[in-house]
Amino acid sequence: MAWTDDAMDGLRAAEVDLVAHLPDSVVGPLVELAVDSEMETVLVAREEEAVGVLSGAWLGGRRGALVCQTSGLATTFNALGSLSKPWGLPFVGIVDRRGGLGEFNLAQVPAGYNMDDLLEAIGIRNGTLRDGDDVAARVAMAADTAFDTQEPYVLLAEPTLTGGK
Amino acid sequence: MGATPPPSERADQTACSAAVVEETPDAAVVANLGGAAYHLAAAAERPRNFYLTGAMGCTTPLGLGLALAVEEPVTVLEGDGSLLMSLGCLSTVADAAPANLTVVVMNNATYGTTGGQTSNAVLVDFAAVAADCGLASATVSTVEGLRAAYSEAQDEDGPVVIDCKVKSGMPAEHPPIDYAHAYAKHRFRSEFVE
Repeated sequence: MAWTDDAMDGLRAAEVDLVAHLPDSVVGPLVELAVDSEMETVLVAREEEAVGVLSGAWLGGRRGALVCQTSGLATTFNALGSLSKPWGLPFVGIVDRRGGLGEFNLAQVPAGYNMDDLLEAIGIRNGTLRDGDDVAARVAMAADTAFDTQEPYVLLAEPTLTGGK
Repeated sequence: MGATPPPSERADQTACSAAVVEETPDAAVVANLGGAAYHLAAAAERPRNFYLTGAMGCTTPLGLGLALAVEEPVTVLEGDGSLLMSLGCLSTVADAAPANLTVVVMNNATYGTTGGQTSNAVLVDFAAVAADCGLASATVSTVEGLRAAYSEAQDEDGPVVIDCKVKSGMPAEHPPIDYAHAYAKHRFRSEFVE
């Protein structure tokens, strides 16, 4: 089974019903699965918008996921720091990692390779999805702790799991 | 280019905020940080107000997400500087298209919260940009004009963007904003979620 099927199982287990996304070839199939599962999907023009959308949706009682690439997550830091973190507005992030193993584009390296440290610096909990992981369980647990503790939790999907770009 | 009326022909922002709440007493109102929040608090402090304290550029997106989650009307009191920061979000609003969302751009063409520096909103016709994205839109510069356009917006079958030309400046006084975020989130969310 593809990792995206497992990730979708995890999102469904955690009762996520809204996906805000700006897709690439790695996470695009996950968005397609969300559409097939009759989850609501919102295509944003810039990933920072997605943090706003998911925050507003949670204030109205929904559970949302951010699906994008690390370069996109890098655009969200003002929202993470001045909305998600101080207000305690949760979402789960499934973000494919660029900038590390197999990366060909130097422009992806500074934010992508260091994304864990960047998130740590502003107090956003995060983990990884790697080959051999129980992806469904990790996604469900990340979502559950995000909504239980009312803080975002971001999972960085490594190219060893996804096959990369 | 959009009309840029002189200050004497712009509406009072507190009165515009009051008109919004009077027209839709049950609406969730999401206010941009700074001036939009202060004027809304001065006009009608209430549990269904959400006053942003940061995240400039995320005000309309947050209102969009809320509108996708609740049945009630959701009104965003945007700032011109905030909307310029994320102008692309109007395409997102047009695509998601919740009919219960109204975006009122409290357009004083200045960065009012940081000292009143001129913004590039003087160059932009927000109603035309919204229309190009496929959204219904209007431009107003009086309280009465806003009241009429806003009332019509409630009957539209999609989101509406209203560019509301307002005078710059802050209200003389307003109830305090919860900058510690300890209470306001729960007060607001409890209005919609058991």
